[in-house]
Amino acid sequence: VSAPPPGPPPAGDPHTPGDGTEPDARFTLANERTFLAWNRTALALVVAGLGIVQLLPPFPGVPWGRHALGVPLILLGAAVSVTAYREWRRTQTALRRSEPVPQSVLPRILVATITGVAALSAVVLLVSAVR
Amino acid sequence: MLPEDPEDLDPGLAAERTRLAWARTAIAFAAVGVVMLRARPAAGAVVLAATPLIWALGGFVSRRIHPAARARRLLLVTVAVTAVAVLAAVAAVLAHGPDSLAQLRGITGGPGHR
Repeated sequence: VSAPPPGPPPAGDPHTPGDGTEPDARFTLANERTFLAWNRTALALVVAGLGIVQLLPPFPGVPWGRHALGVPLILLGAAVSVTAYREWRRTQTALRRSEPVPQSVLPRILVATITGVAALSAVVLLVSAVR
Repeated sequence: MLPEDPEDLDPGLAAERTRLAWARTAIAFAAVGVVMLRARPAAGAVVLAATPLIWALGGFVSRRIHPAARARRLLLVTVAVTAVAVLAAVAAVLAHGPDSLAQLRGITGGPGHR
């Protein structure tokens, strides 16, 4: 990555997060760490999904059980990563304009994911016990 | 007397925390690669090969880089994580051999499988 001199970014650059001035480096770094933490969460969702599909023994009587739990976890991992990038941009733009930092939707996505997977696990186990 | 914010002592601490966060992310990336190696050796090898790239991106933390370059660096991470998720989803769908298509029919409520 080349390091052009700092200064106002050229207009029309699709990668430049908004206008305004470069914020305190510590704010930029904190925003970056938040982005990285969400990406580790995304990777954890992917590895959990992979583990369920590939390492668990099949649920007796529920042949679709492992896929029903694992595949949505993996896809949500992708969604969390993409959303983390979009929110990093939004936050960086707000910092550059000295505006309040916008609220993140990621905690809600994570709560919905964990609740959904827990409920689905209960359904799979119940179906498996009944059969 | 100590300043109220410990970071006023040494702003480099924030950069160091960020470098560590990059290292943790690279390690998490490698962990996914190792798990993939088990079922899909080729896909796992690709993921492991991309790990040093993420580690290297952490080296730019304390340099003064153009805001657009900073954004591109993070976009690269998201592209890598999303690509890994797609690889993992394909590996998961294909898992357990020819039986897996029947299992998927089970998910979508299709006929022919209990």
